[in-house]
Amino acid sequence: MSQPALETVDLHAGYGDVRVLNGVSLTVGRGEIVALIGANGVGKTTLLRTVSGLVRAKGGTISLFGERIEALPPHDVTAAGFVQSPEGKQLFLNMLIEENLLVGAHNRRAYERRKQTLEEVYELFPILAERRTKLAGTLSGGQQQMLAVGRALMARPRALALDEPSLGLAPIMVDRLFEGIRKIRQLDIPIFIIEQNVFQVLNMADRGYVLEQGRVTLTGTGKELLENQHLKSTYLGL
Amino acid sequence: MDPLILSFAVVNGLLIGGIYGGVALGLSLIFGVLRVVNFAHGSLLMLALYAAYWLQIWAGIDPYYSIIVTVPLLFGIGFMIQSVIIAPLIRRESALVVEPLSALLLTAGVYLVIDNLALMAFGPNVRSATTSFALPPVMLGQIPVNMPRLIGFGAAIVVAVGLAWWLKTTRMGRAIRAVASNRDAAALSGINVPLVYAVTFGIGASILGLFGSLLATFVPITPQVGLNFGIRSFIVVVLGGIGSLPGSIVGGLVIGVFEAIASQFVPATSAAILSLGLFVLILLVRPSGLMGKA
Repeated sequence: MSQPALETVDLHAGYGDVRVLNGVSLTVGRGEIVALIGANGVGKTTLLRTVSGLVRAKGGTISLFGERIEALPPHDVTAAGFVQSPEGKQLFLNMLIEENLLVGAHNRRAYERRKQTLEEVYELFPILAERRTKLAGTLSGGQQQMLAVGRALMARPRALALDEPSLGLAPIMVDRLFEGIRKIRQLDIPIFIIEQNVFQVLNMADRGYVLEQGRVTLTGTGKELLENQHLKSTYLGL
Repeated sequence: MDPLILSFAVVNGLLIGGIYGGVALGLSLIFGVLRVVNFAHGSLLMLALYAAYWLQIWAGIDPYYSIIVTVPLLFGIGFMIQSVIIAPLIRRESALVVEPLSALLLTAGVYLVIDNLALMAFGPNVRSATTSFALPPVMLGQIPVNMPRLIGFGAAIVVAVGLAWWLKTTRMGRAIRAVASNRDAAALSGINVPLVYAVTFGIGASILGLFGSLLATFVPITPQVGLNFGIRSFIVVVLGGIGSLPGSIVGGLVIGVFEAIASQFVPATSAAILSLGLFVLILLVRPSGLMGKA
């Protein structure tokens, strides 16, 4: 019972001959919010795609609650309990909002409890309940992001990853979204979050990692990282 | 032109057009979900026609009863073509959308292999199946309506409506639409994308199984019959709007009626040329097809 929710050890991955991840080791503990920070193109999204099985790991291991998952195809990773809300939302825009959510509950474990989960998601994001019979493409950017997070929750994740949830959102929507994320943590779901919004995410996160050129270069608690001089000058411009 | 003869041509054109649309449904479904143009589409119909024919010769099964064999048989063939032949191509291009050209060339290869194997196995003779059912024409006013074609027409409508309903309401149907909409997001949602691809291909092929049985009594069965239907299906699908099931039926009706009327004025072969002209004309005005989304 002491294994972390998510653990990568010396993870290598890339596209063709291009190496993107050069030995990433990190952990997300049970009940933790862990932030991943880094500039564009350092491999943050590739890391999530590798954990999800969309990109094959070239070396190293990925464990979910102690079980190795690096060889699983994406749908089995989701069924095992690691679910991500991908970068750029990736909604099914020509399907209804409720259909988007139900697709999220496709794996067998989640499908049996889909009605109950649907209620929970609607409670978390009431705007989705209001618009349930509308096409996903009719939502605003912030509402679409809520739908993307809601769809991920529909899979009943044991560990949740969010890839840049605040990208392109108005500040008020960012606040509302982060409020939703705090509520998800209360459901005892560990959250691994990639964010450009460094200040806000480190304030919320228990711990953080800084990724540079496919490697973890810095780690610490949210507060420690906020105090760190290198991070301040590089990412906060202070 | 005698209005009675013309209306007879229109009715016949509607029936044939509906059948074209029904035959094209699978092509539209497969393209809509997999983005693969299945050049072997007509070849699968040819196999289904032969299956219905041989079931009658060997087992004495009436073509209309052979549906219970041809539909699952073609589902299996379609499932295998996807999971054995096309899937490796999709895996190789993993995160990207399949290169349309390479998939087209691959299915063109499948078409060549199937058609020529059929030629080897069955010979070039024209065959036809016969049904033991008495199917006299029904009279629509003064116009006799050919019963086997009416059945084919009805089947096309039923399959189009049924398939659309199934895609709309079932868990698998929803998964298929999700995969069509965004493959990676579907995989992240826990959908087994390779399985959905194979099932979709199987469903598309199984519709041809149905039409193989229904057409076996009035379409001359030869190893080359598929190409004609395949190319016409392609025209019908593009005309109606790629990936749209109602569009497939509408496209079929337009082509069917147009050719039936045109062939009252010019020889049937020239009518086919004219219908290609119509095809180009409509696409110039509506590039996404009659029912396609812009």
